[in-house]
Amino acid sequence: MLPPLTPAGTRVSRRTFLAAAGGALAAFGLAGCSPAGTRPTITFHQSKPEAVPYFRDLAAKFTESQDRFRVLHDMATNLSASFVRSSPPDLGCLNYNLEMARFMERGALSDLSDLPEAASIRDDVLDLTNWYPTYAGRTSVIPYSVMAASVIYNRRIFAEHGLTVPTTWDELIEVCERLKAAGVTPIYGTFRDPWTVAQGLFDYTVGGMVDVRGFYKKMHEIGEDVGPESEVSFQKTMLEPVQRMVQLTKYVNPDASSRGYGDGNTAMAQGQAAMYFQGPWAFGEIEKAGTDLDLGTFPLPMTADPADLKVRVNIDLSLWVPEVSNGQEGARAFLQYLLQPEVQNPYNAKFLGFGTVKDAPPVTDPRIVEMQKYYDEGRFYMGASQFIPNTIPAANYIQSIIGGADPEGTLRRMDADWARLAFRA
Amino acid sequence: MSNATRTVPAEPTTSGPITAGPAAGKRRIRTGQERTNWPATAILAACTLAVLVPLYVTISMAFKTTGQAVDGNAFSLPSPLSFDSFVQAWTLTNFPRGFAISVFVSVTAVIGEIVVSALAAYAIVRNWDRRLFRWSFFYLLAAMFIPFPVVALPQIQLTGLVGLDNPLGVAILHIVFALAFNTMLFTAFLRSIPLELEESMRMDGAGTWQVFWRLIFPLLGPMSATVGIFAFIASWNDFMMPSLIISDPEMQTIPVLQKIFQTQFSNSYNVAFASYLMAMAPAIVVYLFTQRWVMSGLTQGAVK
Amino acid sequence: MSSMTKPSTITVVPPEAAPKAATARKSRVDPLYYFFLFPSLAIFTLAVTLPAVLGFVYSFTNSVGFGDFEFIGIRNFIAVFRDEGILGAYGFTLAFSLVTVVVVNILAFLLALGLTSRVRFRTALRTVFVIPMVISGIVIAFVFQYLFSNSLPLLGKGMGIEPLASSILANPDLAWLAIVFVTAWQSIPSAMLIYIAGLLTVPAEVYEASSIDGATPWHNLRHITLPLVAGYAVINTVLGFKNYLNAYDIIVGLTDGGPGVATRSVAMAIFRGFEGGDYAYQMANAVVFFLISIAIALIQLRFTRGKGGIA
Repeated sequence: MLPPLTPAGTRVSRRTFLAAAGGALAAFGLAGCSPAGTRPTITFHQSKPEAVPYFRDLAAKFTESQDRFRVLHDMATNLSASFVRSSPPDLGCLNYNLEMARFMERGALSDLSDLPEAASIRDDVLDLTNWYPTYAGRTSVIPYSVMAASVIYNRRIFAEHGLTVPTTWDELIEVCERLKAAGVTPIYGTFRDPWTVAQGLFDYTVGGMVDVRGFYKKMHEIGEDVGPESEVSFQKTMLEPVQRMVQLTKYVNPDASSRGYGDGNTAMAQGQAAMYFQGPWAFGEIEKAGTDLDLGTFPLPMTADPADLKVRVNIDLSLWVPEVSNGQEGARAFLQYLLQPEVQNPYNAKFLGFGTVKDAPPVTDPRIVEMQKYYDEGRFYMGASQFIPNTIPAANYIQSIIGGADPEGTLRRMDADWARLAFRA
Repeated sequence: MSNATRTVPAEPTTSGPITAGPAAGKRRIRTGQERTNWPATAILAACTLAVLVPLYVTISMAFKTTGQAVDGNAFSLPSPLSFDSFVQAWTLTNFPRGFAISVFVSVTAVIGEIVVSALAAYAIVRNWDRRLFRWSFFYLLAAMFIPFPVVALPQIQLTGLVGLDNPLGVAILHIVFALAFNTMLFTAFLRSIPLELEESMRMDGAGTWQVFWRLIFPLLGPMSATVGIFAFIASWNDFMMPSLIISDPEMQTIPVLQKIFQTQFSNSYNVAFASYLMAMAPAIVVYLFTQRWVMSGLTQGAVK
Repeated sequence: MSSMTKPSTITVVPPEAAPKAATARKSRVDPLYYFFLFPSLAIFTLAVTLPAVLGFVYSFTNSVGFGDFEFIGIRNFIAVFRDEGILGAYGFTLAFSLVTVVVVNILAFLLALGLTSRVRFRTALRTVFVIPMVISGIVIAFVFQYLFSNSLPLLGKGMGIEPLASSILANPDLAWLAIVFVTAWQSIPSAMLIYIAGLLTVPAEVYEASSIDGATPWHNLRHITLPLVAGYAVINTVLGFKNYLNAYDIIVGLTDGGPGVATRSVAMAIFRGFEGGDYAYQMANAVVFFLISIAIALIQLRFTRGKGGIA
């Protein structure tokens, strides 16, 4: 069970609450099945679709390489449900986000700070986990792969029109205007999928102008008083970037509102547009079309100062071991196996991620190499849309702004949602 | 719904549920041979396109290569014919194992729903004058209006607590959730069975147990077929319940395993469609083989 | 929960057959009957009633679904009624359900009429029309999402039909139509089967007698068929409404609640909130939702009571 977080008081333990209920059911229950096997099975949860075959292979290799544990690759478990019934997977390998942080915050993830591998992670990368709610005194989330996202651009189209990579907002608008005048779609929009709008246009424009971490820190402090008068708010702090975001939508393909992520990848593969606001995960999909391309990446310039340039990062894969796992020993062993340089580096090279350890080799893929210096210098932010709880349909709100809804009114609504959430927390 | 019953004229004398076979249907077919309504036939045939076109698209997309699938033209025929998508979908989901689990859940749900609901319906109908049985019926009916989310999370906790966080637990939950509707169907059907048959069997010394299993249950056959096919469809296609309840990933059902292809994060449409096809094919096949009984169950005064 | 459904207004069961059975064995109940009924009551109580009560209790807490929690009174309920997003979801869900019920009933009835008339290939046609019923909602939604956003616009462009050239899923004012269409596509078959069952209970003699009297087909439809199927329409409406109110997978597959929040259903709000750890709050929402569902069912039954009687 989870350790109590606060002294007893009015708190009710879930177990006590359910004891009577469970007792009634117990008479009726049947024993669960557990797969037979001489060595303990470690459930390894990893559900990034494109990496499933890769990790399944690694799990099999590890299982063969020693005779103490068997690793079972799991891509189907519903995580929330598994924590609710106290049977989470033994080792998780997932995107680290607000949903995961909820488990962290409540002490559901075990401390891994005693592992030598924990000390090998870059400090500023490890600190990314602290943008989210934490649990005092624990290092429970080991970043495994960081993805840096920025504007994907078609180098040949830029060259054909004599354009260079913009480093200020004005240059960016000029690039868009010139492309438009030349009859080239400057930006490919895939607005049918709300997440692409949030991840791309919204996060890039906000991240380029606003201190995301500081903003949300204050938003949490202000809580239910967030509104037009508060020090920070969506309607006040984010209005300018959002207006610029709307300005950029003048330069997208006319059918952007009915195009989805898959269509965007296909279009970029066919050179239908010059720029695309997506992360490196899109390269793998663009590649599938098998066309000959020369793509690169640059951070979206939002100010007049090139020194403000930053890239969006996210902890695309992180490793953690739940407190209630009874296969912790095996989970840790597999975690250590995964973190060996000869295992971790090839993964990041193949899936265009950035290494998380202090001596990780620089990326070499020409498509993302331009982001290395920003990553090395710590000039990055995490997406602003990633810090809004799921209950507030932020991506959908942003999508509606793109679709023509009033930015101020929509941002006001997000403030109201935020305040209401704080009210009942 | 009682109103429904009152509006229905008395059973046609020739077509009681006791005389097996959809008598009403047969008679209509006979009259149908007199003069065919060709305009209606043509309109209905045209309407089938609404069903067949999406099916055609699913099938043709599944056999395309990734390259051809991304061109957006759903109506083109696959060329070259590719089975790669199926191979990918098959290996990634460990299809045979998932299939076996899905079959287990569905079969358990089908048998369980038929037996449990038929027993309850029989007890309720034969003791309708007693408050306990009457109120039990209304109590069960309430389930039809409980939104699944209300009970979802406590169910996850409780099934986990008693070791039913596995396919068996999912099957049991399916039985429970369908209980109200199934009991309603069975009670309606049971009321059309004349009591005299049962009385004479009891006169010969048969007890309730024998009466039920030797007389009532066989008579319920067509209705059981209807309940069974609905149970199969619901449990075979269900995603939410197994994804929340089953804790062991090796015991997961097909729809949950296939979810990975149904994402917005990829443009491997062909693999996605292959997985859709693999998911829907068994349900369609089962339906095609059982539809005769389903129809006879429905037309023999089922939903009254 | 049972108390809510007890009122005798829901006379779901025709009491005709009951008295006969009653007089036969009024004196004693074979204990075996209790044994027949018990399994249902037991699993129902443990698997539905108990969780529902627990869920109800949770709605007064700040639980995130696991770990400890505290009781916070009715704060969640207050917040639900002040939540524009949730109220919007209720509006959308009710309007969508209403439209879908009407569309499904009309089309299902027409198909049933067609399939019970003197058409050729009746069995084959019926078989085809029932197929949508057996396919899972998620799969149907994904297939149609592909058709709506890729194939239909391509077709529209090719034929020069401007309104078709962009996906209707991307239009906040029209996306709900796509959801109605796909939901109807999936749920027409079962409504149609129920109507067919109803139409087949009319003895052919009734129509024969009527045509001897010189009645037109329209007269037959108006005065024999329609009154007859009124009861079946009630069944279809009550069951349909209940299903559409819980609309979830088709919407997720088609629009994911978008564009914007134009097609966000109540069930979607509840599940998304649950995934995001907003468990207790969405539980309060679900309790409100349950009360509304029950109320709608009762209204429908009350409202249609007289109707069936006239016939």
